[in-house]
Amino acid sequence: MTSAWISPPTRTELIEDLVSGVDRYNPSNVSILEDYLYHQIRSEEYDCLANLAILKLYQFNPDLYNPDVVVNILIKAMTASPLPDFNLCISLLDERPSNANLDEPDPLPALLPTLKDLHSLLYRCRFPAFWQIYRSEDLESLRDNYTVECVGFENSVREVAVRAVKAAFTRISTERLGSYLNLTGPALDAYIQKLGWTADAASSVVSIPPNPDNQIEATVVQESISLPQLTKVISHAALKVYDIFQISRPSFDYGDLDITSTQPGKQPPFPKEPS
Amino acid sequence: MAQQRMALWAAEADIDEDVDLSLAIGDYGQNGQYEDAHIQPPQIDEATLIAMQQHMAQQAAFSQIPDVVKGFIVHFHQAVLDNNLAEITVAYESGWNKYTEKFYSRTEWPEAEIIAPLVNDDPIFLILYRELYYRHVYSRLQPNIDDRFHSYENSCELFNYLLNSDGPVQLELPEQWLWDIIDEFIYQFQVFCTWRSKVKSKTDDEVAMLAEGGPVWSSYSVLNVLYSLIQKSRINDYIVAQQEGKSPEQLAEIVGEYGQRPLYRMLGYFSIIGLLRVHVLLGDFTLALKVMDNVELNQKSPFTRVTACHVTTYYYVGFCYLMLRRYPDAIRTFVTVLNFIMRMRQYHTRSYQYDQISKTADRMYALFAVCNALSPSRLDDNITNISKERYGEQFAKMARGGEESLPAFEELFLYACPKFITANPPPYDDPVALEALISPPSPVESPTQSSPSSSTDPTHRHLSLFLADVAAQAPVPTLRSFLKLYTSLGAKKLANFLDADEEEMVQEMMMMKQVSKSISRIPGTDKGSLLDGQMITTSDLNFVIDENMVHIAESTVGRRYAGWFIKNTERTQRIFDDLKHMPLPQPPKNAAPTPTITGPSSTGGDTQPRAPRTGGQKVAWGGARVA
Repeated sequence: MTSAWISPPTRTELIEDLVSGVDRYNPSNVSILEDYLYHQIRSEEYDCLANLAILKLYQFNPDLYNPDVVVNILIKAMTASPLPDFNLCISLLDERPSNANLDEPDPLPALLPTLKDLHSLLYRCRFPAFWQIYRSEDLESLRDNYTVECVGFENSVREVAVRAVKAAFTRISTERLGSYLNLTGPALDAYIQKLGWTADAASSVVSIPPNPDNQIEATVVQESISLPQLTKVISHAALKVYDIFQISRPSFDYGDLDITSTQPGKQPPFPKEPS
Repeated sequence: MAQQRMALWAAEADIDEDVDLSLAIGDYGQNGQYEDAHIQPPQIDEATLIAMQQHMAQQAAFSQIPDVVKGFIVHFHQAVLDNNLAEITVAYESGWNKYTEKFYSRTEWPEAEIIAPLVNDDPIFLILYRELYYRHVYSRLQPNIDDRFHSYENSCELFNYLLNSDGPVQLELPEQWLWDIIDEFIYQFQVFCTWRSKVKSKTDDEVAMLAEGGPVWSSYSVLNVLYSLIQKSRINDYIVAQQEGKSPEQLAEIVGEYGQRPLYRMLGYFSIIGLLRVHVLLGDFTLALKVMDNVELNQKSPFTRVTACHVTTYYYVGFCYLMLRRYPDAIRTFVTVLNFIMRMRQYHTRSYQYDQISKTADRMYALFAVCNALSPSRLDDNITNISKERYGEQFAKMARGGEESLPAFEELFLYACPKFITANPPPYDDPVALEALISPPSPVESPTQSSPSSSTDPTHRHLSLFLADVAAQAPVPTLRSFLKLYTSLGAKKLANFLDADEEEMVQEMMMMKQVSKSISRIPGTDKGSLLDGQMITTSDLNFVIDENMVHIAESTVGRRYAGWFIKNTERTQRIFDDLKHMPLPQPPKNAAPTPTITGPSSTGGDTQPRAPRTGGQKVAWGGARVA
């Protein structure tokens, strides 16, 4: 489940070495990782840990900081919802006092609240609200400067919605689904078909194929007892049997009452009968 | 700076010695100051007088030292010279604390230069002595900027000696001390960063020193030390080889001349835990878990002998899981170690670390309450009850959800979270930027940030992320309480109950479904990366929406008997053992061999195990059988 997240199949060996080795701290490798990020953006790939490695380098070397890269990383991470990737990225964004070194004003402080809001809407499954805000005039610059470059951004947002719908619904009205996907008419039909879901034109309801999350069943969970839980009891009992065989063979049935069984340093009160 | 950075990535995981040696050499360039301090340089005329005065002052200070302390230091030194672990342990764990309480509870121990004559100016012992000296300053007194800088230099001296001597050093130290060295190193780093980030309270001298501080307590230099110790000891190879069941000879070959020595092996292991902690402090929760890749998180590992290390490990791992929204894993982590602490309590109340451990435990109970509110679990009723006892009020609020729950989450998070740090210093070397930071030019620049102090504080950044997650979940308890009443229910009706818009409520339901799943490590496996896991359902209440109809199914947990039976079986066994250990009543001398005495009494033999079984046991048992 998580293996593709820890190490996506598309990750090259070079990147793997950077992500897993101490080379990740070398500032001169930042360009390799940044190139890899732009590769992800162009080819609809995603590698969270590699992108976190970029942010780590920025954290330690403020002079490397490139706000465009950060924005792109956040845009990629946003559509990984409900995984916590977006938060993990924000966690590494140390507050920077000033950006005098940059040629242009830093776009990040202005964009960050917007990105956080968008992420929050996705995480809370407020998909219609997401599309409304994302499409709004205020966000024109975000669309024109960033998300347009990120190939398949809107589709990856739709995938977030599809994941949520798939888990919660067995059937959903076409209208509702369309509002989540920001699609109508033929485009919506095509999308539904691509998902392999079946739309009933007459009732305009889409059936979602069964999957582990939308099959519910009332169950009774029975406790299962594992051997280690019983180790103490069994080993104690085993010791008992041993004692019995050693010392009080005649009274096997009542072995548990055999209070004369020898303890180290303790004399049995009476000498045993030689047998 | 640039050269110092070179060092870290110059080393690969499988290093050859040359590369590795360069690691720390380039790093710790500030040896001069320390050398000057205790080896008197050839004196020029002007300095002679000062040196004389210094000498006399030192002598005066020396004479102030109580004789028992002098004796202690001489004894301690001898133990270190002899590599006598038992003696070192006694001096370290008990002697030092004893004399601290007695003579130095409010003042520094004598400086290393003053006690130097007692130990023949042994540089290694003096480094160790300073390690303790500064630790005492940090824990009992208020360290000034010189203390902060010098303790860093001393740590570097120590690591330099360990890593860059000609081959592994022969020194041996108790495991506890080795852990404390790493622990203290990171602690001092953390308090330095916190102190450094408070710009306003700095004097001009301090600003000047910080501006020129260079690598002192820089994140890179701290990571460098930890990675160097890990690589030098080849601890990761050691752990892997040990898990594969390699023979001692093979192990020795794999880990090399450094890794064979317990000192390096333990330092290497503790450095992994140190890295876990540093990465958490810097807010990198995935990397923190990733450095633990090879470490098996269980109680059988030999590394658990140092309790403080064990507890620290679980605290930080659990916290990482919390920040990764993997609440079931966090809960399991906390439960494991809290049970461990409970069992160990009887052995640790007298340990000087007991305070620290029980404080950490308390914070983990708080984090446990937080996780349990977000993802209710019945993993361990005992821990749950203790946690509710301590944080009952907050727990009730958190579990109820809604907006009112946020202050309770915030309170417990702030109480129990690690002391986050910022990786970089404020711009002390840039007076203009610094001035701008102290008095922001205009509030217009950041209208959303209410106060500059909280916005630059990393703790609040993590808090706000966490609270955003919590706020997203806030409607869940209310929804849940309604759903629990039905097996199917129209969405419109439910929306009416909640006085909410139907569409919004349906979206909330999707969110609820989403948070009722979590990635979790596969229970019962200790192996594999801590980041591994699979999706599991965490809620007992499941539902699905069929167009506009909500269908609900509830999983119930069958009654649990096993725990009760196991506990009581064990208790009975214990009682029985105690009885067996009790001295038998002395039988009357004459009566002893007479079987008839025990005959009657053992008719109730089953219920009176204390009845002495006498020499005439056959008769007695016969009686019992009949009965």
